[in-house]
Amino acid sequence: MSGGYKQQPGGGGNITRKDGKRVAGKQSFPPPGSGGSRPQMAERDLQFIPEMVGGREKQPAGAHVHDRIRTGTTVGKSMKLVDSNAKVTGQAWYGDDVRLPNECVAKILRSPHHYAKVISIDTSKVEALPGVLAVATGQDSTTSFGVLPVTKDEHAMAVDKVRHVGDLVACVAAVDEATALHALSLFEVEYEELEPVFDPKKGLEDADEPIHWRGKYHLAKTNVQKRVFQEFGDRSLIDKPSASNHNKWTMKGVHHGFTEPHAVVAHWDPNGRLQLYTPSQVPHYTHRALSTVLAVPMHQINVIRTFVGGGFGGKSDPFPHEMCAALLSRKCGRPVRITFDREEVYMINRGRHPSHIEVKMSADKEARITGFDIDALIDGGGFASFGHVTSYYNGVLATAPYELGSFHYTGARVWTNKPASGAMRGHGAVNTRCAVEVGLDQMAEDLSIDPIDLRLANLLPPHSRTISGFRITSNGMREALERVREGSDWDNKFRQLPLGKGIGIGCGFFISGSGLPIHWDPNKFPHATVHIQVDMDGGVTVHSGAADIGQGSTTAIAQVVAEVLALPIEMIHVRSHESDTSPVDLGSYSSRVTFMNANAAIRAAIEIRDKLLNAAWEMIGYHPDLLVLNDRRIYYKHDPSIGVSYLKALHKAQEDKGALISSGAYRSPPMGGIHKGAAAGLAPAYSFSAYVAETDVDIETGKIKCTNVWAAHDCGRALNPLAVKGQIIGSCHMGLGQVISEEMVYGRTGHLQNANLLEYKIPSVHEMPNVVPIIVESCDPEGPFGAKEAGEGPLLPILPAVVNSVYDAIGIRINDLPLTPDTVYFAIEKKMKAQSVDDPLELESPRLIHSAMQQVVVERAAQHKVRDVARQRSDDTSAYVNGVLFGFDPNIPLEDQVEGWRSATEPLPDQLAELGFAGKAWLKKEQRELEGDN
Amino acid sequence: MVGTEHVDMLPVGAKEIWSAKVNGEDVEVLTTSNATLLDVLRDKVGTLGVKRGCDLGTCGCCTVMVDGQPQLSCLTFAGQVSQCEIITVEGLADGAHLAPIQNCFAKYGGSQCGFCTPGFLISAQSLLNTNTSPTDEEVKTAIEGNLCRCTGYQQIVESIQAAAAIHRGEVEAEAPASSPHPDPHPSGPEEPQMPPGHAR
Repeated sequence: MSGGYKQQPGGGGNITRKDGKRVAGKQSFPPPGSGGSRPQMAERDLQFIPEMVGGREKQPAGAHVHDRIRTGTTVGKSMKLVDSNAKVTGQAWYGDDVRLPNECVAKILRSPHHYAKVISIDTSKVEALPGVLAVATGQDSTTSFGVLPVTKDEHAMAVDKVRHVGDLVACVAAVDEATALHALSLFEVEYEELEPVFDPKKGLEDADEPIHWRGKYHLAKTNVQKRVFQEFGDRSLIDKPSASNHNKWTMKGVHHGFTEPHAVVAHWDPNGRLQLYTPSQVPHYTHRALSTVLAVPMHQINVIRTFVGGGFGGKSDPFPHEMCAALLSRKCGRPVRITFDREEVYMINRGRHPSHIEVKMSADKEARITGFDIDALIDGGGFASFGHVTSYYNGVLATAPYELGSFHYTGARVWTNKPASGAMRGHGAVNTRCAVEVGLDQMAEDLSIDPIDLRLANLLPPHSRTISGFRITSNGMREALERVREGSDWDNKFRQLPLGKGIGIGCGFFISGSGLPIHWDPNKFPHATVHIQVDMDGGVTVHSGAADIGQGSTTAIAQVVAEVLALPIEMIHVRSHESDTSPVDLGSYSSRVTFMNANAAIRAAIEIRDKLLNAAWEMIGYHPDLLVLNDRRIYYKHDPSIGVSYLKALHKAQEDKGALISSGAYRSPPMGGIHKGAAAGLAPAYSFSAYVAETDVDIETGKIKCTNVWAAHDCGRALNPLAVKGQIIGSCHMGLGQVISEEMVYGRTGHLQNANLLEYKIPSVHEMPNVVPIIVESCDPEGPFGAKEAGEGPLLPILPAVVNSVYDAIGIRINDLPLTPDTVYFAIEKKMKAQSVDDPLELESPRLIHSAMQQVVVERAAQHKVRDVARQRSDDTSAYVNGVLFGFDPNIPLEDQVEGWRSATEPLPDQLAELGFAGKAWLKKEQRELEGDN
Repeated sequence: MVGTEHVDMLPVGAKEIWSAKVNGEDVEVLTTSNATLLDVLRDKVGTLGVKRGCDLGTCGCCTVMVDGQPQLSCLTFAGQVSQCEIITVEGLADGAHLAPIQNCFAKYGGSQCGFCTPGFLISAQSLLNTNTSPTDEEVKTAIEGNLCRCTGYQQIVESIQAAAAIHRGEVEAEAPASSPHPDPHPSGPEEPQMPPGHAR
C-alpha cells in the first residue's frame, strides 16, 4: 500500500494497542483520512439498503429511481437535527439575538384606528428628542410590495390609509428602547376616520371606500379581494341521492403562536450594502421585496436568515417592519434592531382565515360520492398576503383522496379592517377538510355503514388524476386508514362506547410542494438549487437557500448528501443562512423543502459521486458500475479489499482542478389542467393521512379532552423517522388547539381582544393526548428517496377526527370551532330540551346497525385494494382518471362521454341565484365590465 | 404600542450595580433599579440563550434557575434576585460536555425550532435535581408553564425521562461523541488490511 499521509518520518505504520484498538503509529494526531477515533470503515448497513439493489430493506411499493445511489448511511434512520446542539446550549441565534456593534433600537408607531385616512404626520417633536437617530414614515417609500406578485398591496408604512388597528404608521430609531418608546408619544398624526368593515359577509357588499382599490379589476365597489368558481364533473349525478347533507360551519381565526416574536436587524454597511438579519421562512421573497421597496438592486442586499423560532406560515411574508428597519438604518448609518412584543405579533397576524364554510355532499345507492359542493367565504383582514392562493386551496384541496362524481366550489376572500390573515400550516385546506370529513361521517351514519369503509370504498388509487386534474402519484391513503383502524381497535369501539366517550375518524390530503413558483419570471427557473463544494480536507460544504424553521430541512439536506456520498453526517456542513452564498430557494412554505431541496441536493451530490467514482476507476481499474461507496471508502463490489479511501479518491479527482464543485436543481414537471386556477393546488406529489381520535366529553360541563390519537401519515418515505414523528405529534398539537381552545377574539367594536398568550389559549402539556404516530411509506416515484411532505398534511385530520369523536360520545354535531366548553354545553342543553330530558346523563350516544349497503362497500373496498396494490407496484403509471368508479372510460375525454360533464371556472347565469355566501361575489361585475356597460 | 395616547413609561429607575453569580461566575453590571432579570441577563450579562417570548410569564421561554428553583425572568426584577445563584441554559453544560438533559433533548426530538428549548431545559433540570425518578405526570407538571408550539410535548417528555434514566445511572451517559465537538477527523478509514495475495 502506498503511504501518502505520513506526518512524521518513520510513522505511518499501524500498531495495535494493548486494549486491542488499532491506532496510527507514532502520530500525535490522526492524519487526514485516518478516520480519527473511527479508523475502521463501518459495515454496510444492509437493513437500510433496498432489496432491489441487494439490501434487506423491504420495498412493498416497488423500486425507486434513487435505489442505486443508496448507501445505507442515513436515510431512514432516526437522527437528531444537525443544529440541535446549538439549540440545547442556547447558542442558536434567533432574530433578537443578533447584536451588532453600535446598534440602535427602533419602535413602530401603530394605528389606533380600524380604518382611517392619514392626513398628516408631524415628526418635528420626535426629531427634536435627544437620543432619536432617525425617523421614517410612509412617504419614505411609497412602493408597494406583497408576497404574491399579483397582489402587492402592502407598504413599509401607511402611505394614504391605515387599514386595521396596529397598521404601521411611522417608525423611529433611538439610542435605546426607552428613548424610542418615549419618541412614539411625540408623533402628531392627523387621521380622518372611515367606516370600517369587520364582517366578511358585509365585505361582499359595495362600500363607500373599499379597503383597497384594484382599478379595472376591482369587483364593483366591494371589498372582495378574490373570487373563485370551479365546477367539474357530471352534475346530474347528484339529482337522486340516497344520502346527502348540508352543513354550515363557522371557523374562528387562529394564529400560528410561534414562540419567537418577529425581530429584524438591518445594517446598511459602509460599502453601501444592506445586511438584513431576519427569522424568515422566505428569505428570497424578502430579498425581492426589499429590492423593490428600497430601490436597490438585489445584489446589493444580503438577507441573512437567523435561526427561526417557529414559523408555521407566520413568517412567510416579506414584512413591513423589515422595510422599516432597512429605511432607518439607511438614514442613521447604524445597525437598527426591531423586536416585536407579543401584541405586535398578533397585529401582523397572517394566521388562518376566519371562515364561513358550507359543504353539501351526496352519495348514490352504491355509496359512491356523487358530489361535493363547497362554499368558502374567508376573512382576509387588511391585506392580501397569500390570500389569492388561500381562496383556491379552500376548495381544490378537497378534490382528493376520494373519487367524486362532481365537484363544485365557490370561494371568496374579502378584505376587512382586521390584521391580515395569511398562510398557516395546512394552508387553506384545514377548515374545508374538517367540514368535508365531518360531512362524510354524517353520510356514513345516514347510510348506516362504517365511515372507514365508506372511505375505503371511494379512494382514488395510486397514479391517478383528481376530478380537477391534479396528478396523484404515490398514495398511501388506504394503508393509513387500515393501520389506524387496527391500531385503535376501531371495530370494537366505534358507536359502542358509553355516553361521554367517543372515537372518530378523519383523513387528510395535502400538497408536497407547490407545483408552480410564486414568481413565474423567468418561468424555467428552478424551484430549488443546491451547490456542493468539497475541498481537500474532505468536508462537504452544501450551500442551500432552504430556510430551516425547526422542521429540520438542514438536517434533511445533510442526510441526503451523506447518503449519496456515504459519509458520516458530521462531514456535511450545510450553509443556508445567507443569500450572498446560498443559491435561490423559494422558501419554507407549501411543504416544499424536503421534496424540492432534497431532490436538488441529491442531483448535486450525484455529480460529486460520479467524480469520485471516476477517480477511483482510474486508481483501481474497476468501472464505476462495479464500485461500491461505503463509509469513507470506495471499493470493488466483489472484493471489498480492493479499493481506495474517500480522501484518496477525492484528491485524485481534484488533481489540476481544485475543489470539486457541483450544482443541482429541481423544477417540478409540467402537469395539470389548463383551466383558470388549474395551477392552484398542483403539486409534484401529495401526502395522505388518516387519524383516529378518542375523546372524553364531560357531559355535565361540556369540557372535552382528547385522550388518544392514532395518527397515520403517508410521507412517502421517512428520511428521518424521528423528525417525521415530531412533525406528526406537533401537528396534532396545533390542530387540536384549533378544535378545543384557540381563537382570535374580535369584540363588538372590532378590536382584537386576546393579543397575548394568556388569553389566546395554546394547549399546554396537560391538554395533549397520547399520540401514536404511524408512518406510512408509499415511496413516491419522484420524491427524494421516495419522500414526500410531513410538515403540514398531518395537521388536517386531527380536526375532523376530534369533532367526529365528540359526536360519537354525545350524539351532537357542532359546526362551530373551537369546541369550547360553553359551545359544547349549550349544544348539550339544546339537545336536552329537544328530547325533554332533565339530566344530561340520560342522553344517549349514537349506535350503529349496519345496513345492507355495508356489505357493498366492504366488497368494493376489497376489490379496490387489489387494484391499488397492482397500480402502486406497476410500471404502468398511466393515469387512472377520476370517474372510472362511475363507469366512465378513462381513455376517452370525459367531456365526450357524458352530456353535461362540466369543467368550468365561471358560473352559468342560471346558477347565480343558488350560490352560497361566497358565491354572491359572482353577482357583482368587475370595473372593466361596468365601464363597458356605461 | 398602539395609539397616540401613551402613558408615560415608568420613571426611569435609579442606576445601581447588580451583582449575582450567573452560571458559576460572579457578575457585576450597572443597571436600573426597575430592570427585569430577563433584560439584565440578555442585554447586560449577555446570556442570550434566555429567550423573550411574551413578557407576561405565559410562555416560559425565559425560565432560569434561581437558587435551584425555576423562575420566570420576565416577571422577576433583577433586584429581587441580586446575590443569588442563577443558572441559565448556558450553564447546563460542563465545558464541552453537554448535560444529559441537553443530549436527550437533541437525541429524542425534544427540540425542533429550539426557541422554547432553553426554558424547557431549565424547568426539566430543576425537576431532575430533586427527583430522578419522576412519573410522566410529575414531568408534565414540571413543564406545564412552558409553551412549545413545535413538538406537541410528547418527545419533550420522552427526552426528560431519558435524561432521568441517565441521572439514575440506569443508562450510561453519551460518550463525548455527542459533545459540541464531535470526532474532529471522521474523514476516512485507513487503508484496509489487505488479505494475502493482493498486490494492491
